[in-house]
Amino acid sequence: MKTVFNKYTTVAFTALLLSSGCTKEFDDINTNPSTYTQSSFDANYLLTTAQLGYTGSSDFAYDTWRANLIYSSTMVQGLSTVVSYWAGDKYLLNEAYTAAYWGGTTVGAYVEQVKPITDMVQFTADKPKYKNLHQVGRIMRALIMERLTDLYGDVPYSQAGQGYYTGVITPKYDKQQEIYADLLKEVEEATAALDPAADIPTGDVYYRGNIDQWKRFGNTLLLRMAMRLTKADAATAQAYATKVQGKTMQSNTDNAFVTHDISGARVTQNRNSQVLLGDGGQENYYVKWSKTFIDYLKNNNDPRLSKIAVTQLYLTDVTKNQNAAANSSAAVQKGMPNGKDLSGRPAYDISAAPDYTTFPDYSSPSPGMIKRNGPTFVLTYAESELLLAEAAQRWGLGSAAQHYSAGVTAASTYLSQYDAALTVAPADVATYLTAHPYSAATGLEMINTQYWALTNTMLDFYESWANWRRSGFPVLTPVVYPNNATNGQIPRRFPYPTTEITSNPDNYRAASAAVPGGDNLSGRVWWDR
Amino acid sequence: MKKTTWLTILLLLGLHGWVQAQTTPVTGKVSDVKGGALPGVTILVRGTNQGASTNADGTFSIAVADTAALVFSSVGYNPQTIRVARQSVINVTLSENTQALDEVVVTALNVSRERKTLGYSVTEIQGNSLTQARENNVANSLVGKVAGLNVNSTAGGPGSSSNVIIRGVSSLNQTNQPLYVINGVPVESQPSGGAGAATGNNGGQYDNAPDLGDAISNINPDDIETISVLKGAAASALYGYRGKAGVILITTKSAKGNDGLEFNSNYVAEKIYNLTEWQYEYGQGTNNLKPTTAVGAAQVGNSSWGGKLDGSNVIQFDGTTRPYVAQKDNLKNFYRTGNSWTNTLSFSKSFTGGAVRLSASNLSNNSVVPNSGLDRQTFNLAGTFDPFKHLTIDARANYILEQAQNRPILADGAGNANFNVAFLPTSIDVRSLQPGTKADGTELIYNTGNPYNTNPYFAAYNFVNDTRRERLLSSVSARYTFDKGLFIQGRVGRDGYTDRYTNVTPSGTGYLTAGKVIELTTQFTDLNADGLVGRTFKVGEDFTITPNLGTSYRRTKSEAFRNTGTDLAVFGVNTIGNAKNKSTEYFYSDQEIHSVYGSLDLSYKEFLFLTATTRRDWFSTLATPGVDNDLSVTYPAVSGSFVFSELWKPDFLSFGKIRAGFSKVGQATNPYQTQLSYAFLAPTLNGLPLGTISPDNVNIPNRNLLASTATEFEIGTELAFVQNRVRLDLTFYKKRSKNEIVFAPASISSGYQGAVLNAGEMENKGVEMLLTFVPVKTADFTWTSSLNGAYNKNTVLSLAAGQQQSVYATSRSGVGFVGQVVGQPFGQVLAYDYKYNPDGSIATTTNGVPVRGELTSYGTAFHPWTAGWSNDFTFKRINLGVLIDGKFGAKIFSATDYYGTVFGLRKETLVNREGTFGADKVDAATYYSTLANNVSKDFVQNANFIKLRQVTLGYSFPSALFGNHIQRLNLSLVARNLFFISRKTDNIDPEGSYNAFSQGLELGGVPPSRTYGVNLSAKF
Repeated sequence: MKTVFNKYTTVAFTALLLSSGCTKEFDDINTNPSTYTQSSFDANYLLTTAQLGYTGSSDFAYDTWRANLIYSSTMVQGLSTVVSYWAGDKYLLNEAYTAAYWGGTTVGAYVEQVKPITDMVQFTADKPKYKNLHQVGRIMRALIMERLTDLYGDVPYSQAGQGYYTGVITPKYDKQQEIYADLLKEVEEATAALDPAADIPTGDVYYRGNIDQWKRFGNTLLLRMAMRLTKADAATAQAYATKVQGKTMQSNTDNAFVTHDISGARVTQNRNSQVLLGDGGQENYYVKWSKTFIDYLKNNNDPRLSKIAVTQLYLTDVTKNQNAAANSSAAVQKGMPNGKDLSGRPAYDISAAPDYTTFPDYSSPSPGMIKRNGPTFVLTYAESELLLAEAAQRWGLGSAAQHYSAGVTAASTYLSQYDAALTVAPADVATYLTAHPYSAATGLEMINTQYWALTNTMLDFYESWANWRRSGFPVLTPVVYPNNATNGQIPRRFPYPTTEITSNPDNYRAASAAVPGGDNLSGRVWWDR
Repeated sequence: MKKTTWLTILLLLGLHGWVQAQTTPVTGKVSDVKGGALPGVTILVRGTNQGASTNADGTFSIAVADTAALVFSSVGYNPQTIRVARQSVINVTLSENTQALDEVVVTALNVSRERKTLGYSVTEIQGNSLTQARENNVANSLVGKVAGLNVNSTAGGPGSSSNVIIRGVSSLNQTNQPLYVINGVPVESQPSGGAGAATGNNGGQYDNAPDLGDAISNINPDDIETISVLKGAAASALYGYRGKAGVILITTKSAKGNDGLEFNSNYVAEKIYNLTEWQYEYGQGTNNLKPTTAVGAAQVGNSSWGGKLDGSNVIQFDGTTRPYVAQKDNLKNFYRTGNSWTNTLSFSKSFTGGAVRLSASNLSNNSVVPNSGLDRQTFNLAGTFDPFKHLTIDARANYILEQAQNRPILADGAGNANFNVAFLPTSIDVRSLQPGTKADGTELIYNTGNPYNTNPYFAAYNFVNDTRRERLLSSVSARYTFDKGLFIQGRVGRDGYTDRYTNVTPSGTGYLTAGKVIELTTQFTDLNADGLVGRTFKVGEDFTITPNLGTSYRRTKSEAFRNTGTDLAVFGVNTIGNAKNKSTEYFYSDQEIHSVYGSLDLSYKEFLFLTATTRRDWFSTLATPGVDNDLSVTYPAVSGSFVFSELWKPDFLSFGKIRAGFSKVGQATNPYQTQLSYAFLAPTLNGLPLGTISPDNVNIPNRNLLASTATEFEIGTELAFVQNRVRLDLTFYKKRSKNEIVFAPASISSGYQGAVLNAGEMENKGVEMLLTFVPVKTADFTWTSSLNGAYNKNTVLSLAAGQQQSVYATSRSGVGFVGQVVGQPFGQVLAYDYKYNPDGSIATTTNGVPVRGELTSYGTAFHPWTAGWSNDFTFKRINLGVLIDGKFGAKIFSATDYYGTVFGLRKETLVNREGTFGADKVDAATYYSTLANNVSKDFVQNANFIKLRQVTLGYSFPSALFGNHIQRLNLSLVARNLFFISRKTDNIDPEGSYNAFSQGLELGGVPPSRTYGVNLSAKF
């Protein structure tokens, strides 16, 4: 029996040795052959994803639909609708929609923008072959974070997107004041560190890696961030506006935009277009330019009106086919009032509006702007010049009138970047400017109303809303709608997503309690004091 | 047609063959040792459920194959097995059973052992108890039958998955489903959606997908001989990392001693029951107004905040004017009577040196959901061969073809017929939404205000969610036994399947006009090989020692291609070829585990037994390139049993045993959780690749990951009294899991959904009881009653550092959650409480709407108390079985009530319906929907229930009736899920979770249904 036991022992040891000896292959088995590691991956690919992500979610324009369109566009009276779930048009609160920009586990800014760009910045740090890519990444991260903080106020910033590198899974909320200070520092440093002699970022879809353009982009972004602070910290605003003089964008060719791609379906198609073409509902028929916006263009004989607006685009609420004979004549354009519905109640039903005829008689954004492969504008020369005009008006930095003229001109001429059909003749802009010369007395209102019109045409309603909150222009009359969540005032901020209650409870609680005016649609971000 | 053709062929073959030639009529008499006649003795043909019983005078007659063996058994007597061997008269004497419970059960590694030797609790279920009143998913048949086994079916329609939890949830984030071992071969059975590529419903807040079923649901219950449930770690320790959640061993039927042809046919009809009780005073509309235009009616969609239902003619979404009256029968009018028809034919043949069994089965199911159903064909071949002395080869193949048509989408309204029928406004007749399409083939949209709420007919008839599975489960084992008893055994098993999933959002869908097609192909293989050597040594007269040593190897791979096509070019051609934009994604997963194990069984006389086992596993999934982690974990286990009735046996006691076991088990995780990797999105942007962090790493990877472990202690007793007419099996256990591999939820602002951490500790302790008694036993009438009950107290002791609470699932409503709270049982249902003022009153806004307070846990989603009571009455040839089961102590979050409130359907919304609230005079619709969003605790419901689960009434025809050409013919009337004897939920099914991953959340599932029908089984 002893020998038998010895046999067993031998077998056992052999088995043990064999088993443990084979685990050498386990490293290979536990490396997915269909993925890459940092050593086999090009960080440029992450830049492309972040730039596309900044135009909106790859999952059916998730954030664009809710934050840019349903809320921002209607609150600033750029667009108007009777679609019942467009809560922003009536200042109703839909927590899921106001949380959409922040996003969830698969969609939204943190996971689709902050994550790839933060990873790219870390990935490229101290790697000579990514010298410029790293700086572009820092600028992009600042651009991305700016919009997040503009929408929500204090947000996770310094620890955001860093989970893999720091292990922090409940990032703290940084104060917006500190965020802005760091954004300005980051963009200034990164812009200065861009080196035309170093690597060309091949993943860049804005400028195809043109470093000189990136420098101008960086300085223009710095200007825009600085001007956001005119209410809260005018000195800082002035200091940075002074620093960037002469270094900002020079023409419409410096405009940063992403040209979308039909072939990738929702992932790569233009976000605003997916929604406004009615891919997910009847937005194509029921979402119109706001009466406020069309009236402004019409009353001032704005040459853009016949370019950006058409009537009779969709003739029935069931068709997605555009009417080839849509009418772009400026004379027939008519905006739809905000705050209307289809309830049958005379005070609110659109059919009881004074000039209501039919839906096709209201102006829709022109088909040239709403293309699946059309551009999403990120930052434009026209914005830059209007911001410079304001800086000049406030602090005597150059000629406000000159910057105003350049801004207004570019705000019309850039439309050709949408589509040749949207080309505005320079002569028409000149006529317009002659009719509306810059007046220092009403300069801030003129500049910021122009800025509003410009960002509306860019369909960048995030920017329209932010600049309206900062400047107060144009003066908008709030809509009156029963049961609204803001006591009849235009909302100033998005409440924090309730997902943070469960995933980041302590930081959420502190941040939520710290919002001046409360963690709701009426609370205010720091720069909007 | 096809199905019946092969059935016919097999039937003819069978009848023409050897069947009649080899059947012998056998008669005889059974008596006790004193010569008295024994009535009511069960005579079973071994390995089958074919049988007879003795009459009042102890006589019997049965027609059997002459190679068969008859098992004579009666409660309180030792069973006897006698080979027929061409005898026509068999007289048997049964001795009284003094050592009861010496039945043999299947234990780990498919080793059959006498129950009395086991130091842990094992429950065995006979296959025939699963086949009369059957479920399409055999796991659901186990509900109420095993103490400590908590089975939850899901509201996912035909072929949906089942949530099986043994002795409480034992892992915070890894699988809690038991390991299924079929004929010795381990088989994964995760509920659907586990793999990266699956587009099934994962229980995520926005998962808008069907339940794609699990692997266990493929098994044909007719092929099952026994199911053995290894509940505790001591029993399952030899399965190492796969034994943590318990093990269910399934042994399929083999041919041994059971020659002949068997046929089973089962037909059941299925009808839903409507548990919703909405308000029927106000109809569709808003602001207490009836719609006045078709456009307006379509915009208000699901809102029942309209005017008083007054019978007037009101325009509806389609421009048609209909009476404004309550529609209470929408569920009844939409769902149809479903049915399932299962036919199984098997034949067995023994020959010199072996035996073969072949079975073929067809299941044809029409779901209660229109245009939805399931077809399944299974073929099972089992053979044992003794090619020469000492060597036994056992080879089995189980080939499964399963096709599910239109698995219903769950939860949210998009493409989900269930949701859209459930929440139709009170004044809309579902039939007015027929046929779901307009003349041009596009969706007849009833809710333009939210086109994501799909017309239910369009969802049922135009959406496609078809799955097709082709699966082969095969195994070969060879065992060589030397003369002195040393044996060597080798076994190779492979589970391989190819799944095809076609998901079509048709062109013309309201929310996706251009349509979308997904074609997913998954190939899965799981290869297991093991070897075992062992021998029993006798030491002196009283001691035996049995050492066993084994090693095993496992390789599990899956590979999937997902092709997505969007923007269908030609309207109505819903194929991927017709898509303007196409993209392909590739998913891959691979893991390997090496193991060695050994066991040592000691026994002293016939009353003292000790088993010690140990196992060590090495996991590829813990490997990190460049890091020298410990890839292995060792699990020791020891258990013992003491049959004290061998030493001390007073009159009242027939049998007595105590047992105890201690063991350690463990668990690793999925592949690719140890390093960060990058991948690409499927499309490119104007030719530029879109790089991303790999979907493998939605959680922050962990370079230093270790296996988790759990230790369990159990103690129990088995007692039998009054000649074994009363039996009691009692177990206490305590199990502690630590160093759990958790996906600690992260704020998405970190960039990740969570982090893979070794953290967390959890405890389960509980008691299980099985009481079987025979209150009446006469010659003609026997009543057997079996009561099982279990209580499991789970406590989450700790989570990731600094975390007191972690939410793992969110209701679609966004205001109900399931998560962990330190100090509370696993799976707390969480909702928002009121906010309270310092004086204790409820805080409200200026509008008078209560304000949202703290997120509060209201109790676990997993019932700590489970019980089942089955009663079997046998009167002569008639048998009646009744099973009642109940579960207690759990909560469920009713998103149905949330939407019922928001849409103005719930009765509670009638209060002050036409009035205003607060200083700002908000209307009722705004008040109630804001309230629902702010304070959700009212939607947490008590999920206790008692259900009449199963009733069977059978009659066994005497063979003589058919001139003994038919050995056995049983006909039964069967019914399952008849009704709730007690239920606390309103509007919903307490068992209605839409997904196995997120038990405690429900919405938009298939309503509960009862089935009733007939089962015919015959043996020729």
